[in-house]
Amino acid sequence: MNAITDDDRTYDVVIVGAGFSGAILAKELVSAGHTVLILEAGADHGKTWETYRSYLDQYYLSLAKTPNSPYPDLPTLPSPSVLDITAVRGTEPDTNGYFVQRGPLPFGSNYLRAYGGTSLHWLGTSLRMMPADFEMQSRFGQGVDWPFGYKDIRSDYERAEWEIGVSADAEEQTPRALGIKTSGKHDNRGYFAKGYDFPMHSIPSSYIDGFFARADGMPIEIGEDPKDTVKLKVSRTPQGRNSTPRKPKNANGIPVGRKMRYQFRPRGSTGPFAYMGQRCEGNSSCIPICPIQAKYNAMKTLEDAKHIRKHHMKTITQAVASKVELAESGRVSGIVYKKYSFSGVAQYELRRAKGKQYVLAGGAVENVTLALASEICRTSGELGRNLMDHPYMMTWGSAPEPVGPFRGPGSTSSYANFRDGTFRDRTAAHRLEIGNWGWNFATGAPNTDVARFVEQENLFGKALRDKLYHDVQRQVRIGTMVEQLPRSTNRVTIDPAYRTPMGEYRPVISYDLDDYSRAGLATAYDTCTQIFQRLGIRNHTAYNPSDAGYFTYDGRGYTFFGAGHLVGTHRIGTHPRNSVTNDVMRTWDHDNLWMVGAGSMPTIATSNPTLTMSAMAYRASRAISDAVRKGGAK
Amino acid sequence: MSQHDNSPAHQAFLTVSAALTGYNSAELQGTGCTGEYWHQFRQVLPEEILNRFLSHAQSLGQGDDDQIIRQTYLSDRCLGPIARSLIQLWYTGQWVPLSQEWRESYGASRFDVVKIISTRSYKEGLVWDAIGAHPMGAKQQGFGAWALEPPRKREAGQ
Ligand SMILES: Cc1cc2nc3c(=O)[nH]c(=O)nc-3n(C[C@H](O)[C@H](O)[C@H](O)COP(=O)(O)OP(=O)(O)OC[C@H]3O[C@@H](n4cnc5c(N)ncnc54)[C@H](O)[C@@H]3O)c2cc1C
Ligand code: SF4
Repeated sequence: MNAITDDDRTYDVVIVGAGFSGAILAKELVSAGHTVLILEAGADHGKTWETYRSYLDQYYLSLAKTPNSPYPDLPTLPSPSVLDITAVRGTEPDTNGYFVQRGPLPFGSNYLRAYGGTSLHWLGTSLRMMPADFEMQSRFGQGVDWPFGYKDIRSDYERAEWEIGVSADAEEQTPRALGIKTSGKHDNRGYFAKGYDFPMHSIPSSYIDGFFARADGMPIEIGEDPKDTVKLKVSRTPQGRNSTPRKPKNANGIPVGRKMRYQFRPRGSTGPFAYMGQRCEGNSSCIPICPIQAKYNAMKTLEDAKHIRKHHMKTITQAVASKVELAESGRVSGIVYKKYSFSGVAQYELRRAKGKQYVLAGGAVENVTLALASEICRTSGELGRNLMDHPYMMTWGSAPEPVGPFRGPGSTSSYANFRDGTFRDRTAAHRLEIGNWGWNFATGAPNTDVARFVEQENLFGKALRDKLYHDVQRQVRIGTMVEQLPRSTNRVTIDPAYRTPMGEYRPVISYDLDDYSRAGLATAYDTCTQIFQRLGIRNHTAYNPSDAGYFTYDGRGYTFFGAGHLVGTHRIGTHPRNSVTNDVMRTWDHDNLWMVGAGSMPTIATSNPTLTMSAMAYRASRAISDAVRKGGAK
Repeated sequence: MSQHDNSPAHQAFLTVSAALTGYNSAELQGTGCTGEYWHQFRQVLPEEILNRFLSHAQSLGQGDDDQIIRQTYLSDRCLGPIARSLIQLWYTGQWVPLSQEWRESYGASRFDVVKIISTRSYKEGLVWDAIGAHPMGAKQQGFGAWALEPPRKREAGQ
């Protein structure tokens, strides 16, 4: 039996997880003068340029270039992989991968456990939510309302956009400019604060975006009411990757989170090659790895935090938080973690980290397995429930002319028209993302095209070259991301029968799509077909009943995948009985324990969750700082 | 690895490769991968079959290559699968193993396994040039290049 050794130092705040949330919290808390310890389960392979390079080499050499392919998958610390996803059949759970899948549908999303977290392979899409998204219950009788509204988080959105370094132009991003018929009359008013703008200009639209924009203005009926008909519009997507910094129009600068900021300074890659990655160069591999780190990752914020006050911030990697310990008062007294020396060898030392305040920021699923294993936060019964994602459905086809795919960021624009509207009382809102990488995600192009042309179409030489140019240049793809409602049966649990080699609980997941989301996907499919018809795109979409994510709706079949947007498992709320934490992410049950991350979000809406989650981390950090200052009980 | 190899066998390998891929031998050598591919090829094929594969090189470049390729390579039970793996090797940098049936008939090699030969071979896959793009994750085209008109088709040697 391992004895537990106490760490020498007691910190103001102990944070579990060095992803987006942990990084922002650490930077804010260190800036406020507090001492911070981060426990990170993964290894720090990204710290120097050489090791980051080795990630890149691993990507080049991977046969299946999945989101986790560049990064080490340690038996000591398994990460979920999209390659493990199979259909769940019968009552036996699928235990192929790290997740234990109970179904009825497979949960197709993944994340990464390494220093920097999933930010290493996120795409970078950085959307704010719509005002309606905070009021799903009162506006549409669906899901729940948030304990605060859009205007309450607006200034934190600004902070998050300037931390991540989001490239976009505010005038293009209001609900009206996006072509959204908002469900509320005044939703457009004050969407951005007066004088506010993003730190960098929009990333240029791709040539493909321009091709799709030829259908702009096309009417699409979305509800039964003709008034709901929207006019299609391709709009640029705010992205967490470097473009050209904005020169403030006003000599006083730009108001960001109630402070004036002058010109943004893009941060390039971490480590010694700091001049790389100050602008996106179009490497076309943002998922799974940006070779030059022009795309934001949390290592940048962690790096800042270290520089602000060196002795205030400590990070321990290869440290798996294993148990949150409680004192009799119900307050947290320490976090026990397993410190392993060699990645891949399941041998560890048991240690205890001590702080005044404790934060779980390990991601929506890991926060829950840790809390369940520690038997904490049990009052509401909501812990682990309401798991949401953006079910991701692809439609793909051949354009009538070359459109130049496989260049630039994975996506630069979308049809945002369907992100809100009165139809949301019956049909899930959604966003249609225009892909820049041909059929890469859909079919494995262009390698699968080579294989097919050579093995089946018996092509070689010039004819093969010509055919590749002809077909691949015409590949277009739209990805639909649809909102899900919080459902108590979509949940993460633990089961002593399923553990990792380190003895940690593996997440056991039950997951399904309700008719609300299915209706959204079916509607989106119809819209895509209409767009294809309008632009002369030949539809090649194929959904196969043998696909792991195959489902039916209204007599038709579709296939969905996960989007990596894990949301909802420890939601904020107004009362200890409807939520795991209060609106500043302090757990209702344990006075000095906080849960931060996308698991805090009560609904998922149509925005990729990270910007909202990051904004919420600012909200939490202020409250945590207050709690440290006040000390003792609340 | 990429030392210059002037042996007739290596030259024959390049001649057949050029006819199979539609890229001329200078372009193939420009990838810097010929050494690695030649090495892989020899490791997989029994010597007698390798010689047979290369022996037809001399008839190429004199007229109707297409017919020779279809007749002596693609539709041949032994050489066809090799030719198809070789085309894919050049196009994707990845070795596609021969079928079980082929191995039973002509001999198995422990090097006949699926793999991307090297980080360079991934980046030098001809497919990226053929489709008018760049290898994902390498040879970036510069800020905003994705907004430009699609590149026109390039013919061999252009
Ligand atoms: C392929 C992909 C693409 C995505 N693209 C986008 C996008 O374009 N836009 C967007 O908004 N979102 C995107 N996301 C989602 C986004 O990555 C997540 O929302 C975000 O990373 C969550 O941040 P986090 O800090 O909560 O968790 P993470 O980034 O997952 O970080 C959590 C960290 O905590 C550590 N940890 C976990 N458990 C423990 C433990 N017990 N002890 C110690 N450490 C622990 C982990 O190792 C990890 O480093 C994408 C996700 C994927 C998978
Ligand atoms: S396109 Fe390239 S340079 Fe730009 S963010 Fe993606 S991977 Fe990085």
